[in-house]
Amino acid sequence: MDIKTEQFVDVARKELKNDRNKQFLGVLPYGITISRQRSMQTFADPEAANDYGRAIRAEVIARLSELLEEFEKNAAANGAKIIWAETAAEANAFVLNLARERGVRYVTKGKSMVTEEMGLNDVLQENGIEPFETDLGEFIAQQLHRPPFHIVGPALNIPVEEISDLFIAKADMKEPTTDPVKLGYAARLYLRDKFHHLAMGITGVNMAVAETGSIINVENEGNIRLNKSSPRIQVSIMSLEKVVPTMADAMHMIRLLCRNCTGQKLSAYVSIDSGPKKSDEMDGPEELYIIILDNGRSKIYQDQQTREALRCIRCGACLAACPVYCKIGGYPYGWAYSGPMGQVLSPLLIGLDRTHDLFHACTLCGACKQFCPAGIDHPKMFLYYRMLEAQADTEQKGDFIPDKPAKLFDLWSWGAARAWRWKIAVKTMRPMMNYHAKDGVIRKTVAPLYGWFRTRDLPVMAKKTFHDRWTKIKKSR
Amino acid sequence: MSQRAREEILGKLKGAPKAKTVPRPYVPPLTELSWNGEQLIANFTQNLTAQTGVVHRVKDSAEAKAKLAEIFAEEGLTTIMASTDAVVAPLDLRAWGKEMGVRVLTAGDFADRDAYKNAVFTEVQAGVTGADYGVAESGTIGLIHDRNQPRLISIAPITHIALLPVGRLFPVYESVTERVFGDKNKLPGQFTFTTGPSMTGDIQGGQFKGMHGPRKLIVILIG
Ligand code: SF4
Repeated sequence: MDIKTEQFVDVARKELKNDRNKQFLGVLPYGITISRQRSMQTFADPEAANDYGRAIRAEVIARLSELLEEFEKNAAANGAKIIWAETAAEANAFVLNLARERGVRYVTKGKSMVTEEMGLNDVLQENGIEPFETDLGEFIAQQLHRPPFHIVGPALNIPVEEISDLFIAKADMKEPTTDPVKLGYAARLYLRDKFHHLAMGITGVNMAVAETGSIINVENEGNIRLNKSSPRIQVSIMSLEKVVPTMADAMHMIRLLCRNCTGQKLSAYVSIDSGPKKSDEMDGPEELYIIILDNGRSKIYQDQQTREALRCIRCGACLAACPVYCKIGGYPYGWAYSGPMGQVLSPLLIGLDRTHDLFHACTLCGACKQFCPAGIDHPKMFLYYRMLEAQADTEQKGDFIPDKPAKLFDLWSWGAARAWRWKIAVKTMRPMMNYHAKDGVIRKTVAPLYGWFRTRDLPVMAKKTFHDRWTKIKKSR
Repeated sequence: MSQRAREEILGKLKGAPKAKTVPRPYVPPLTELSWNGEQLIANFTQNLTAQTGVVHRVKDSAEAKAKLAEIFAEEGLTTIMASTDAVVAPLDLRAWGKEMGVRVLTAGDFADRDAYKNAVFTEVQAGVTGADYGVAESGTIGLIHDRNQPRLISIAPITHIALLPVGRLFPVYESVTERVFGDKNKLPGQFTFTTGPSMTGDIQGGQFKGMHGPRKLIVILIG
């Protein structure tokens, strides 16, 4: 997937005019939020449940290296093969080589954001191994070459007519239909054949339990279970922050994840793998590979503030809470991660220089932070990124900013330091500001301030300053 | 590659500034733990039904078989695959099937994995399994997958019928995971929790059952 985070403003502008998506965004997030809130109330003490989840995630971050080592030891003892990868390229190369060595012609994939981050599909495709996304939404988004509209429902917004055309062209569907059930069934049949003859299945990991060396997947469709049960080779890829200390912690986090994600107490399927199949079992993987991917996270970890981003469990609650996401949808964010969680993660993963508009596209209202079961303070993160940018921090690539704002503020402080300079500036600025005024309102002005007026107006400035008028009044008395 | 990457990654994590570990707040109360037998059954049934699972309750295995016959007739099932776990095996479904005119297959009937997969993906109309656990807090069944409980039987066919003795019903997940994962030397290759049929809302949020797995989940509570 190409990274298009730099196009945030342009795509957002376009999406604001997209009537279909607007209509959709008008209802969906509210429905999600209501069902989320209702299901959170099924906890005897919802606040305590949230606090406990946040404490688990805080502990994971604090004890990260220790937990990873414990997980590795136990998973290896269970018979899984652990592969560490520093970069996406390393992880992709491992998967590709394995597929080649085993003579695999195609792979199926369970929904996994980390493989989108890695761009695994493109690498496999370019090398002649066909990757099939099997989560219905991912399957549609993949075939349409679109970024995810929502992290949980990547193709929620796509009209049925478009899906119908797509399935006729690419999924062996015979008759056009606008019935979502028939469309889903067509995808089932098409992908079922892939599952049946599958040699290698690829999945993400929702949680990795240090105490037992187990990996856990949470899903509703059952595609991940098929991905793990049918083939002889299973590759499960986790970014390194997915680890949790104990099975009981995992259970608590899953309670929170499902309620925040889809408003369910539990998703239809939670599957927990502790090693490959035993020798007397008929199905399940003979080889289980677990890739632990860093891809910049150990660098993010160096800073106590940025490492907070690693708490995220990808529940998607912050998307529905965010007034910005609810207007523009997922496309403008330009990558696998959208909404507030994307605004928190993408800048650290690909650099502040390529994501400037992401962490500025926020009014700091804090709705996301209120919902987040992992305890991320999104607004605080955005302020921190803005600070790093202002300080031209090189670690997170914040040193890109053209010096325009800095120069402007230098000029400002120079002007404000002496009364006479200030007075001259105020006098000369007025006609400049009023130059484009119309009907008593300033809607635009000269560079470099025009950006400010993109979304704001000002009343026209009085011809004379208060001081001037006051002096005049005093004199006339 | 992996070893070098491992050293690099762990080295960086360990070299980073240490954060204080804050003691955890109190464990959130799990009021489900106070449920008694009938409350467990009532909550299990209510929660699973809310996820469109179907729950029947029968007295004993003879009634369970009668219920199965009813379901088979209703759903028009003629070929099924059954697990051979401790709940299903004693029912001798194969003999029962002969009387009913239902072909009952088991994984053991097949010489190899491919033949078994062909059958479970294309031939059978339902999978019949025991359930190792039930969890009342969400209406969930738990299956330990092993030789007698192959994974695909409960996920590949379009209908999944699970038999759950009421004595295997517990209030919360932790009551089950303590039992399944308590001994690190005896972990099952795979353990699954199932709560309702396979479903998706990925096309415009509309619910669709049987996306990849069963369209119907029927649980027969025995006892
Ligand atoms: S940032 Fe928090 S609310 Fe948003 S997806 Fe991550 S865990 Fe969920």
